[in-house]
Amino acid sequence: MLYANFWRRNLGFAKLAIASNIEYRLNFLVDALVQPCLSSVVEVVLWISIFAGAGMTLIGGFPVESYISYALWATFMGRISSSWMYEFRMIEEIDSGSINSLIVRPMSFYEYYLSQLMGYKFITTAVSLVVPLVLFQIFNLPFHLDRLPICLILVFYYLILVHSLSFIVASLAFYLNRAHSFTAAKNLGLWLLSGELFPLDLLPEPFKTLFSYLPFSSGVYVPTAYITGRIGQEAVIQGFISVTGGLIVANLIGWALWKQAMKNYSGTGA
Amino acid sequence: MSQQSTLKKYASLYYAFFRASLQADLEYRANFTLRIVTDVFWYAAQIFTFEVLYRHTKFIGHWNLDQTRVFLGILFVVDAIYMILLHDNLERFSDKVRKGDLDLLLVKPVRSQFMISFQRVGTANFANLIMAVAWLWWSLSRLPDFNLIKLLWLLIVIPNGFMFLYAFRFCFACTAVIFTRSENLQFIWYNIYKLGTRPDSIYAPWMKYILMTVVPVALIASVPARVIIDEPSWPLMIWSFLLGPTMIYGTTLFWKFCLKHYSSASS
Repeated sequence: MLYANFWRRNLGFAKLAIASNIEYRLNFLVDALVQPCLSSVVEVVLWISIFAGAGMTLIGGFPVESYISYALWATFMGRISSSWMYEFRMIEEIDSGSINSLIVRPMSFYEYYLSQLMGYKFITTAVSLVVPLVLFQIFNLPFHLDRLPICLILVFYYLILVHSLSFIVASLAFYLNRAHSFTAAKNLGLWLLSGELFPLDLLPEPFKTLFSYLPFSSGVYVPTAYITGRIGQEAVIQGFISVTGGLIVANLIGWALWKQAMKNYSGTGA
Repeated sequence: MSQQSTLKKYASLYYAFFRASLQADLEYRANFTLRIVTDVFWYAAQIFTFEVLYRHTKFIGHWNLDQTRVFLGILFVVDAIYMILLHDNLERFSDKVRKGDLDLLLVKPVRSQFMISFQRVGTANFANLIMAVAWLWWSLSRLPDFNLIKLLWLLIVIPNGFMFLYAFRFCFACTAVIFTRSENLQFIWYNIYKLGTRPDSIYAPWMKYILMTVVPVALIASVPARVIIDEPSWPLMIWSFLLGPTMIYGTTLFWKFCLKHYSSASS
Protein backbone atom coordinates (compact mmCIF):
# COMPACT_ATOMS: atom_id res chain seq x y z
CA MET A 1 0.00 0.00 0.00
CA LEU A 2 2.84 2.31 0.95
CA TYR A 3 4.66 1.54 -2.29
CA ALA A 4 1.46 1.85 -4.33
CA ASN A 5 0.98 5.35 -2.93
CA PHE A 6 4.61 6.17 -3.57
CA TRP A 7 4.46 5.14 -7.22
CA ARG A 8 1.07 6.76 -7.81
CA ARG A 9 2.28 10.01 -6.30
CA ASN A 10 5.49 10.06 -8.32
CA LEU A 11 3.70 9.12 -11.52
CA GLY A 12 1.52 12.14 -10.85
CA PHE A 13 4.59 14.38 -10.54
CA ALA A 14 5.99 12.97 -13.78
CA LYS A 15 2.70 13.60 -15.58
CA LEU A 16 2.65 17.12 -14.18
CA ALA A 17 6.09 17.75 -15.73
CA ILE A 18 4.99 16.34 -19.08
CA ALA A 19 1.85 18.49 -19.12
CA SER A 20 3.64 21.68 -18.11
CA ASN A 21 6.40 21.17 -20.68
CA ILE A 22 4.11 20.58 -23.62
CA GLU A 23 1.93 23.51 -22.61
CA TYR A 24 4.09 25.88 -24.67
CA ARG A 25 4.19 23.75 -27.82
CA LEU A 26 6.60 25.83 -29.85
CA ASN A 27 9.02 25.90 -26.95
CA PHE A 28 8.71 22.13 -26.54
CA LEU A 29 9.14 21.40 -30.24
CA VAL A 30 12.24 23.55 -30.33
CA ASP A 31 13.54 21.74 -27.26
CA ALA A 32 12.74 18.22 -28.42
CA LEU A 33 13.21 18.43 -32.18
CA VAL A 34 14.77 21.61 -33.54
CA GLN A 35 17.60 21.73 -31.01
CA PRO A 36 18.70 18.10 -31.45
CA CYS A 37 18.56 18.49 -35.25
CA LEU A 38 20.62 21.65 -35.16
CA SER A 39 23.10 20.28 -32.60
CA SER A 40 23.48 17.11 -34.68
CA VAL A 41 24.16 19.07 -37.87
CA VAL A 42 26.70 21.26 -36.07
CA GLU A 43 28.55 18.27 -34.59
CA VAL A 44 28.57 16.34 -37.87
CA VAL A 45 29.84 19.37 -39.78
CA LEU A 46 32.57 19.88 -37.20
CA TRP A 47 33.87 16.33 -37.36
CA ILE A 48 33.72 16.15 -41.15
CA SER A 49 35.61 19.44 -41.26
CA ILE A 50 38.19 18.25 -38.75
CA PHE A 51 38.89 15.13 -40.82
CA ALA A 52 38.97 17.09 -44.09
CA GLY A 53 41.15 19.79 -42.55
CA ALA A 54 43.54 17.30 -41.00
CA GLY A 55 43.73 15.34 -44.28
CA MET A 56 43.58 12.03 -42.38
CA THR A 57 41.42 8.93 -42.76
CA LEU A 58 41.82 7.76 -39.15
CA ILE A 59 42.00 9.68 -35.89
CA GLY A 60 42.76 7.66 -32.77
CA GLY A 61 42.28 4.51 -34.87
CA PHE A 62 38.70 5.29 -35.94
CA PRO A 63 37.37 6.54 -39.32
CA VAL A 64 35.22 9.61 -39.90
CA GLU A 65 31.97 7.55 -39.93
CA SER A 66 32.72 6.39 -36.42
CA TYR A 67 33.14 10.00 -35.25
CA ILE A 68 29.95 11.12 -36.99
CA SER A 69 28.09 8.27 -35.26
CA TYR A 70 29.68 9.25 -31.98
CA ALA A 71 28.86 12.93 -32.46
CA LEU A 72 25.21 12.18 -33.27
CA TRP A 73 24.65 9.91 -30.30
CA ALA A 74 26.73 12.04 -27.96
CA THR A 75 24.59 15.06 -28.78
CA PHE A 76 21.47 13.03 -28.04
CA MET A 77 22.80 11.46 -24.83
CA GLY A 78 24.23 14.78 -23.67
CA ARG A 79 20.86 16.42 -23.97
CA ILE A 80 19.13 13.70 -21.96
CA SER A 81 21.75 13.53 -19.26
CA SER A 82 21.91 17.23 -18.40
CA SER A 83 19.66 19.11 -16.00
CA TRP A 84 19.35 22.87 -15.79
CA MET A 85 15.71 23.77 -15.54
CA TYR A 86 14.70 21.74 -12.50
CA GLU A 87 17.86 22.58 -10.64
CA PHE A 88 17.12 26.30 -11.09
CA ARG A 89 13.56 25.71 -9.90
CA MET A 90 14.75 23.87 -6.80
CA ILE A 91 17.09 26.73 -5.95
CA GLU A 92 14.34 29.28 -6.51
CA GLU A 93 11.93 27.39 -4.26
CA ILE A 94 14.49 27.62 -1.47
CA ASP A 95 15.52 31.21 -2.24
CA SER A 96 11.97 32.52 -2.38
CA GLY A 97 10.64 30.54 0.56
CA SER A 98 7.99 28.80 -1.55
CA ILE A 99 9.62 25.55 -0.44
CA ASN A 100 7.49 25.86 2.72
CA SER A 101 4.43 24.66 0.86
CA LEU A 102 6.36 21.62 -0.39
CA ILE A 103 8.02 20.44 2.80
CA VAL A 104 4.75 20.28 4.71
CA ARG A 105 3.34 17.80 2.19
CA PRO A 106 3.67 14.02 2.68
CA MET A 107 6.47 13.67 0.15
CA SER A 108 10.12 14.59 -0.11
CA PHE A 109 11.52 17.56 -1.97
CA TYR A 110 14.02 15.18 -3.63
CA GLU A 111 11.42 12.82 -5.07
CA TYR A 112 9.10 15.65 -6.12
CA TYR A 113 11.72 17.06 -8.45
CA LEU A 114 13.27 13.73 -9.43
CA SER A 115 9.93 12.48 -10.75
CA GLN A 116 9.34 15.72 -12.60
CA LEU A 117 12.81 15.52 -14.13
CA MET A 118 12.18 11.93 -15.21
CA GLY A 119 8.81 12.83 -16.72
CA TYR A 120 10.32 15.72 -18.64
CA LYS A 121 13.27 13.63 -19.84
CA PHE A 122 10.98 10.75 -20.79
CA ILE A 123 8.82 12.86 -23.11
CA THR A 124 11.85 14.70 -24.52
CA THR A 125 13.71 11.44 -25.14
CA ALA A 126 10.70 9.84 -26.82
CA VAL A 127 10.43 12.72 -29.29
CA SER A 128 14.15 13.48 -29.73
CA LEU A 129 15.08 9.85 -30.36
CA VAL A 130 13.54 10.20 -33.81
CA VAL A 131 16.39 12.50 -34.85
CA PRO A 132 19.40 10.14 -34.50
CA LEU A 133 17.37 7.12 -35.66
CA VAL A 134 16.28 8.86 -38.88
CA LEU A 135 19.75 10.29 -39.53
CA PHE A 136 21.36 6.89 -39.04
CA GLN A 137 18.94 5.31 -41.50
CA ILE A 138 19.51 8.03 -44.09
CA PHE A 139 23.30 8.05 -43.91
CA ASN A 140 23.68 4.36 -43.13
CA LEU A 141 26.08 5.02 -40.26
CA PRO A 142 27.52 2.27 -38.07
CA PHE A 143 25.72 1.64 -34.77
CA HIS A 144 24.16 -1.24 -32.81
CA LEU A 145 20.42 -0.75 -32.46
CA ASP A 146 20.15 -3.74 -30.09
CA ARG A 147 22.38 -1.88 -27.60
CA LEU A 148 20.10 1.16 -27.45
CA PRO A 149 17.80 -0.03 -24.59
CA ILE A 150 20.66 -0.74 -22.17
CA CYS A 151 22.27 2.59 -23.08
CA LEU A 152 19.05 4.46 -22.35
CA ILE A 153 18.71 2.62 -19.02
CA LEU A 154 22.26 3.65 -18.13
CA VAL A 155 21.61 7.28 -19.07
CA PHE A 156 18.41 7.41 -17.02
CA TYR A 157 20.24 5.78 -14.12
CA TYR A 158 22.94 8.43 -14.49
CA LEU A 159 20.20 11.05 -14.50
CA ILE A 160 19.41 10.08 -10.90
CA LEU A 161 23.02 10.92 -10.06
CA VAL A 162 22.68 14.23 -11.90
CA HIS A 163 19.56 14.96 -9.89
CA SER A 164 21.37 14.07 -6.68
CA LEU A 165 24.06 16.59 -7.59
CA SER A 166 21.30 19.12 -8.32
CA PHE A 167 19.88 18.37 -4.89
CA ILE A 168 23.27 19.14 -3.32
CA VAL A 169 23.50 22.42 -5.23
CA ALA A 170 19.93 23.33 -4.29
CA SER A 171 20.63 22.49 -0.63
CA LEU A 172 23.48 24.97 -0.72
CA ALA A 173 20.84 27.67 -1.27
CA PHE A 174 19.96 27.25 2.42
CA TYR A 175 23.49 28.28 3.34
CA LEU A 176 24.29 30.80 0.62
CA ASN A 177 22.19 33.68 -0.58
CA ARG A 178 22.87 32.88 -4.20
CA ALA A 179 23.64 29.39 -5.46
CA HIS A 180 22.78 29.73 -9.17
CA SER A 181 26.40 29.89 -10.24
CA PHE A 182 27.00 26.44 -8.80
CA THR A 183 24.61 25.10 -11.43
CA ALA A 184 26.53 26.58 -14.30
CA ALA A 185 29.90 25.53 -12.87
CA LYS A 186 28.66 22.01 -12.12
CA ASN A 187 27.10 21.53 -15.55
CA LEU A 188 30.16 22.80 -17.36
CA GLY A 189 32.30 20.46 -15.27
CA LEU A 190 30.04 17.52 -16.16
CA TRP A 191 30.11 18.55 -19.82
CA LEU A 192 33.89 18.45 -19.74
CA LEU A 193 34.07 15.08 -17.98
CA SER A 194 31.20 13.30 -19.71
CA GLY A 195 32.79 12.92 -23.14
CA GLU A 196 30.30 15.06 -25.03
CA LEU A 197 33.03 17.25 -26.48
CA PHE A 198 35.08 14.39 -27.92
CA PRO A 199 35.44 10.64 -27.29
CA LEU A 200 37.33 10.15 -24.03
CA ASP A 201 39.48 7.44 -25.67
CA LEU A 202 41.30 10.23 -27.54
CA LEU A 203 42.74 11.45 -24.25
CA PRO A 204 46.28 10.54 -23.28
CA GLU A 205 46.91 8.26 -20.30
CA PRO A 206 46.33 8.55 -17.34
CA PHE A 207 43.42 10.92 -18.09
CA LYS A 208 41.79 8.39 -20.39
CA THR A 209 41.52 5.74 -17.66
CA LEU A 210 40.68 8.25 -14.95
CA PHE A 211 37.88 9.94 -16.91
CA SER A 212 36.47 6.60 -18.07
CA TYR A 213 36.23 5.29 -14.51
CA LEU A 214 34.52 8.39 -13.14
CA PRO A 215 30.71 8.08 -12.99
CA PHE A 216 30.32 11.13 -15.23
CA SER A 217 31.45 9.22 -18.32
CA SER A 218 28.26 7.15 -17.98
CA GLY A 219 26.22 10.15 -19.08
CA VAL A 220 27.63 10.37 -22.58
CA TYR A 221 30.87 8.54 -23.33
CA VAL A 222 30.00 5.02 -22.13
CA PRO A 223 26.52 4.75 -23.74
CA THR A 224 27.67 6.48 -26.92
CA ALA A 225 30.87 4.49 -27.29
CA TYR A 226 28.97 1.27 -26.59
CA ILE A 227 26.22 1.95 -29.10
CA THR A 228 28.75 2.93 -31.78
CA GLY A 229 30.97 -0.09 -31.10
CA ARG A 230 34.01 1.65 -29.62
CA ILE A 231 33.81 -0.24 -26.32
CA GLY A 232 32.38 -3.52 -25.03
CA GLN A 233 29.77 -4.58 -22.50
CA GLU A 234 32.23 -4.61 -19.59
CA ALA A 235 32.48 -0.81 -19.81
CA VAL A 236 28.70 -0.52 -19.45
CA ILE A 237 28.78 -2.76 -16.37
CA GLN A 238 31.60 -0.61 -15.03
CA GLY A 239 29.41 2.44 -15.79
CA PHE A 240 26.54 1.08 -13.68
CA ILE A 241 28.95 0.35 -10.84
CA SER A 242 30.58 3.80 -10.91
CA VAL A 243 27.19 5.57 -11.08
CA THR A 244 26.06 3.51 -8.07
CA GLY A 245 29.19 4.61 -6.20
CA GLY A 246 28.54 8.20 -7.24
CA LEU A 247 24.92 7.95 -6.09
CA ILE A 248 25.94 6.73 -2.66
CA VAL A 249 28.46 9.54 -2.20
CA ALA A 250 26.21 12.27 -3.66
CA ASN A 251 23.17 11.22 -1.65
CA LEU A 252 25.15 11.05 1.58
CA ILE A 253 26.38 14.59 1.02
CA GLY A 254 22.92 15.77 -0.05
CA TRP A 255 21.28 14.10 2.94
CA ALA A 256 23.76 15.66 5.38
CA LEU A 257 23.35 19.14 3.86
CA TRP A 258 19.57 18.86 3.82
CA LYS A 259 19.34 17.54 7.37
CA GLN A 260 21.52 20.31 8.73
CA ALA A 261 19.61 22.92 6.71
CA MET A 262 16.26 21.67 7.99
CA LYS A 263 17.50 21.89 11.56
CA ASN A 264 18.32 25.56 11.16
CA TYR A 265 15.59 26.57 8.73
CA SER A 266 12.76 28.73 9.91
CA GLY A 267 10.11 28.83 7.23
CA THR A 268 9.23 32.47 7.13
CA GLY A 269 8.63 34.73 4.19
CA ALA A 270 6.66 32.40 1.92
CA MET B 1 19.75 67.77 -26.62
CA SER B 2 23.12 67.87 -28.37
CA GLN B 3 24.88 64.68 -29.36
CA GLN B 4 27.65 65.35 -26.85
CA SER B 5 25.30 65.75 -23.91
CA THR B 6 23.37 62.64 -24.99
CA LEU B 7 26.62 60.68 -24.99
CA LYS B 8 27.49 62.13 -21.60
CA LYS B 9 24.10 61.15 -20.24
CA TYR B 10 24.48 57.56 -21.44
CA ALA B 11 28.05 57.35 -20.18
CA SER B 12 27.02 58.52 -16.70
CA LEU B 13 24.06 56.15 -16.78
CA TYR B 14 26.37 53.27 -17.66
CA TYR B 15 28.72 54.24 -14.86
CA ALA B 16 25.77 54.10 -12.46
CA PHE B 17 24.88 50.64 -13.82
CA PHE B 18 28.44 49.54 -13.30
CA ARG B 19 28.55 50.71 -9.67
CA ALA B 20 25.21 49.12 -8.87
CA SER B 21 26.26 45.83 -10.50
CA LEU B 22 29.60 45.78 -8.67
CA GLN B 23 27.89 46.35 -5.32
CA ALA B 24 25.32 43.67 -6.08
CA ASP B 25 27.96 41.18 -7.23
CA LEU B 26 30.25 41.73 -4.25
CA GLU B 27 27.37 41.12 -1.90
CA TYR B 28 27.42 37.44 -2.88
CA ARG B 29 31.11 36.57 -2.81
CA ALA B 30 30.78 32.82 -3.42
CA ASN B 31 28.58 33.51 -6.42
CA PHE B 32 31.11 36.08 -7.64
CA THR B 33 33.97 33.58 -7.46
CA LEU B 34 31.95 30.79 -9.03
CA ARG B 35 31.07 32.93 -12.02
CA ILE B 36 34.78 33.26 -12.71
CA VAL B 37 35.29 29.52 -12.23
CA THR B 38 32.42 28.72 -14.59
CA ASP B 39 34.03 30.62 -17.41
CA VAL B 40 37.37 29.02 -16.65
CA PHE B 41 35.67 25.65 -17.19
CA TRP B 42 34.37 26.87 -20.53
CA TYR B 43 37.84 28.05 -21.54
CA ALA B 44 39.29 24.74 -20.38
CA ALA B 45 36.75 22.83 -22.48
CA GLN B 46 37.68 24.75 -25.63
CA ILE B 47 41.42 24.46 -25.01
CA PHE B 48 41.16 20.82 -24.04
CA THR B 49 39.25 19.92 -27.22
CA PHE B 50 41.91 21.35 -29.51
CA GLU B 51 44.87 20.15 -27.44
CA VAL B 52 43.45 16.62 -27.65
CA LEU B 53 42.69 16.83 -31.38
CA TYR B 54 46.15 18.18 -32.16
CA ARG B 55 47.67 15.18 -30.42
CA HIS B 56 46.41 13.18 -33.39
CA THR B 57 47.17 15.59 -36.24
CA LYS B 58 49.61 18.44 -36.96
CA PHE B 59 47.15 20.62 -38.89
CA ILE B 60 43.43 21.25 -38.76
CA GLY B 61 42.49 23.26 -41.80
CA HIS B 62 45.77 24.99 -42.55
CA TRP B 63 46.34 26.07 -38.96
CA ASN B 64 48.71 24.39 -36.56
CA LEU B 65 48.25 24.22 -32.78
CA ASP B 66 49.97 27.56 -32.08
CA GLN B 67 47.76 29.37 -34.58
CA THR B 68 44.63 27.73 -33.21
CA ARG B 69 45.65 28.88 -29.73
CA VAL B 70 45.68 32.46 -31.04
CA PHE B 71 42.20 31.90 -32.46
CA LEU B 72 41.07 30.67 -29.04
CA GLY B 73 42.65 33.70 -27.39
CA ILE B 74 40.62 36.06 -29.57
CA LEU B 75 37.49 33.99 -29.00
CA PHE B 76 38.02 34.19 -25.22
CA VAL B 77 38.56 37.96 -25.32
CA VAL B 78 35.39 38.56 -27.36
CA ASP B 79 33.48 36.17 -25.14
CA ALA B 80 34.74 37.86 -21.97
CA ILE B 81 33.65 41.28 -23.28
CA TYR B 82 30.28 39.77 -24.11
CA MET B 83 30.01 38.28 -20.63
CA ILE B 84 30.84 41.63 -19.02
CA LEU B 85 28.57 43.81 -21.10
CA LEU B 86 25.67 41.71 -22.29
CA HIS B 87 25.28 38.22 -20.94
CA ASP B 88 23.33 38.97 -17.76
CA ASN B 89 21.01 41.33 -19.58
CA LEU B 90 20.12 39.22 -22.57
CA GLU B 91 20.04 35.95 -20.65
CA ARG B 92 17.33 37.25 -18.33
CA PHE B 93 15.40 39.07 -20.99
CA SER B 94 12.80 36.32 -21.46
CA ASP B 95 12.04 36.46 -17.71
CA LYS B 96 11.69 40.24 -17.87
CA VAL B 97 9.08 39.91 -20.59
CA ARG B 98 7.16 37.18 -18.80
CA LYS B 99 7.14 38.87 -15.41
CA GLY B 100 6.25 42.29 -16.77
CA ASP B 101 9.59 43.94 -15.86
CA LEU B 102 9.97 45.06 -19.44
CA ASP B 103 7.12 47.54 -18.93
CA LEU B 104 9.17 49.40 -16.35
CA LEU B 105 12.10 49.66 -18.75
CA LEU B 106 9.94 50.88 -21.61
CA VAL B 107 8.62 53.86 -19.69
CA LYS B 108 12.06 55.17 -18.71
CA PRO B 109 13.29 58.30 -20.52
CA VAL B 110 16.18 56.52 -22.28
CA ARG B 111 16.37 54.22 -25.28
CA SER B 112 14.80 50.92 -24.29
CA GLN B 113 17.34 48.93 -26.31
CA PHE B 114 20.13 50.50 -24.26
CA MET B 115 18.40 49.66 -21.00
CA ILE B 116 17.75 46.06 -22.03
CA SER B 117 21.24 45.49 -23.34
CA PHE B 118 23.39 47.19 -20.73
CA GLN B 119 21.52 47.55 -17.45
CA ARG B 120 23.55 44.84 -15.71
CA VAL B 121 27.33 44.58 -15.88
CA GLY B 122 29.01 41.22 -15.27
CA THR B 123 31.74 42.59 -13.04
CA ALA B 124 33.02 39.14 -12.06
CA ASN B 125 33.96 38.55 -15.68
CA PHE B 126 36.67 41.20 -15.59
CA ALA B 127 38.81 38.44 -14.10
CA ASN B 128 37.98 36.32 -17.14
CA LEU B 129 38.94 39.16 -19.46
CA ILE B 130 42.35 39.34 -17.76
CA MET B 131 42.77 35.58 -18.20
CA ALA B 132 41.66 35.78 -21.83
CA VAL B 133 44.12 38.58 -22.59
CA ALA B 134 46.89 36.66 -20.82
CA TRP B 135 46.13 33.55 -22.91
CA LEU B 136 46.05 35.61 -26.10
CA TRP B 137 49.35 37.26 -25.24
CA TRP B 138 50.98 33.93 -24.45
CA SER B 139 49.68 32.33 -27.65
CA LEU B 140 50.84 35.30 -29.73
CA SER B 141 54.31 35.09 -28.20
CA ARG B 142 54.56 31.53 -29.51
CA LEU B 143 54.02 32.58 -33.12
CA PRO B 144 57.43 32.66 -34.84
CA ASP B 145 56.63 35.51 -37.24
CA PHE B 146 54.51 37.63 -34.96
CA ASN B 147 54.66 41.34 -35.59
CA LEU B 148 53.64 43.73 -32.80
CA ILE B 149 52.12 46.20 -35.27
CA LYS B 150 49.54 43.57 -36.12
CA LEU B 151 48.26 43.94 -32.58
CA LEU B 152 46.84 47.34 -33.54
CA TRP B 153 44.47 45.50 -35.85
CA LEU B 154 42.99 43.82 -32.81
CA LEU B 155 41.76 47.19 -31.55
CA ILE B 156 39.53 47.36 -34.62
CA VAL B 157 38.67 43.76 -35.37
CA ILE B 158 37.79 42.63 -31.85
CA PRO B 159 35.12 45.36 -31.32
CA ASN B 160 33.86 44.51 -34.79
CA GLY B 161 33.58 40.83 -33.84
CA PHE B 162 31.77 41.88 -30.70
CA MET B 163 29.25 43.83 -32.79
CA PHE B 164 28.25 40.62 -34.62
CA LEU B 165 27.95 38.78 -31.37
CA TYR B 166 25.74 41.51 -29.93
CA ALA B 167 23.54 41.76 -33.01
CA PHE B 168 22.90 38.02 -33.15
CA ARG B 169 22.36 37.53 -29.47
CA PHE B 170 20.10 40.55 -29.14
CA CYS B 171 17.85 39.44 -32.01
CA PHE B 172 17.50 35.96 -30.52
CA ALA B 173 16.72 37.43 -27.09
CA CYS B 174 14.10 39.75 -28.62
CA THR B 175 12.06 36.78 -29.84
CA ALA B 176 10.83 36.55 -26.24
CA VAL B 177 8.71 39.64 -26.91
CA ILE B 178 6.92 37.80 -29.72
CA PHE B 179 6.72 34.27 -28.28
CA THR B 180 6.67 35.15 -24.53
CA ARG B 181 8.49 31.93 -23.65
CA SER B 182 11.49 31.41 -25.88
CA GLU B 183 14.20 29.89 -23.66
CA ASN B 184 14.69 27.05 -26.07
CA LEU B 185 15.05 29.40 -29.02
CA GLN B 186 18.05 30.79 -27.16
CA PHE B 187 19.66 27.36 -27.39
CA ILE B 188 19.44 27.62 -31.16
CA TRP B 189 21.64 30.65 -30.83
CA TYR B 190 24.18 28.66 -28.80
CA ASN B 191 24.31 26.01 -31.52
CA ILE B 192 24.93 28.61 -34.20
CA TYR B 193 27.50 30.30 -31.99
CA LYS B 194 29.23 26.93 -31.60
CA LEU B 195 30.07 27.04 -35.31
CA GLY B 196 31.84 30.33 -34.66
CA THR B 197 33.86 28.82 -31.83
CA ARG B 198 35.81 26.73 -34.32
CA PRO B 199 38.36 28.25 -36.74
CA ASP B 200 36.76 28.85 -40.13
CA SER B 201 39.77 27.18 -41.75
CA ILE B 202 38.35 23.78 -40.81
CA TYR B 203 35.19 24.25 -42.85
CA ALA B 204 34.60 23.35 -46.46
CA PRO B 205 34.49 26.41 -48.79
CA TRP B 206 30.69 26.39 -49.12
CA MET B 207 30.30 26.20 -45.36
CA LYS B 208 32.84 28.96 -44.86
CA TYR B 209 30.90 31.11 -47.32
CA ILE B 210 27.68 30.59 -45.33
CA LEU B 211 29.45 31.43 -42.06
CA MET B 212 30.86 34.62 -43.55
CA THR B 213 27.68 35.84 -45.19
CA VAL B 214 24.33 34.22 -44.35
CA VAL B 215 25.06 33.45 -40.68
CA PRO B 216 28.27 35.45 -40.20
CA VAL B 217 29.43 33.89 -36.92
CA ALA B 218 32.89 33.33 -38.42
CA LEU B 219 33.36 37.10 -38.22
CA ILE B 220 33.30 36.94 -34.41
CA ALA B 221 36.71 35.31 -33.91
CA SER B 222 37.93 33.66 -37.12
CA VAL B 223 38.32 36.84 -39.14
CA PRO B 224 40.15 38.71 -36.33
CA ALA B 225 42.42 35.68 -35.92
CA ARG B 226 43.17 35.59 -39.63
CA VAL B 227 44.28 39.22 -39.50
CA ILE B 228 46.88 38.26 -36.93
CA ILE B 229 47.88 34.86 -38.29
CA ASP B 230 47.65 35.40 -42.06
CA GLU B 231 47.88 38.60 -44.06
CA PRO B 232 44.70 40.73 -43.81
CA SER B 233 42.40 40.11 -46.77
CA TRP B 234 41.06 43.51 -47.82
CA PRO B 235 37.76 42.36 -49.38
CA LEU B 236 37.07 40.40 -46.22
CA MET B 237 37.98 43.32 -43.99
CA ILE B 238 35.76 45.72 -45.95
CA TRP B 239 32.89 43.23 -45.82
CA SER B 240 33.41 42.77 -42.11
CA PHE B 241 33.50 46.52 -41.38
CA LEU B 242 30.42 47.20 -43.46
CA LEU B 243 28.43 44.34 -42.03
CA GLY B 244 29.07 45.15 -38.34
CA PRO B 245 27.38 48.58 -38.23
CA THR B 246 24.66 47.35 -40.62
CA MET B 247 23.80 44.54 -38.26
CA ILE B 248 23.73 46.89 -35.28
CA TYR B 249 21.32 49.11 -37.20
CA GLY B 250 19.33 45.96 -38.02
CA THR B 251 18.93 45.26 -34.30
CA THR B 252 17.21 48.62 -33.74
CA LEU B 253 14.79 47.89 -36.57
CA PHE B 254 14.12 44.38 -35.24
CA TRP B 255 13.57 45.73 -31.73
CA LYS B 256 10.97 48.18 -33.03
CA PHE B 257 9.32 45.35 -34.94
CA CYS B 258 9.19 43.22 -31.78
CA LEU B 259 7.73 46.04 -29.73
CA LYS B 260 4.83 46.27 -32.18
CA HIS B 261 3.95 42.70 -31.13
CA TYR B 262 4.32 43.38 -27.44
CA SER B 263 1.28 43.19 -25.22
CA SER B 264 2.23 44.22 -21.71
CA ALA B 265 2.49 41.29 -19.31
CA SER B 266 1.97 43.24 -16.10
CA SER B 267 -1.11 45.25 -16.99
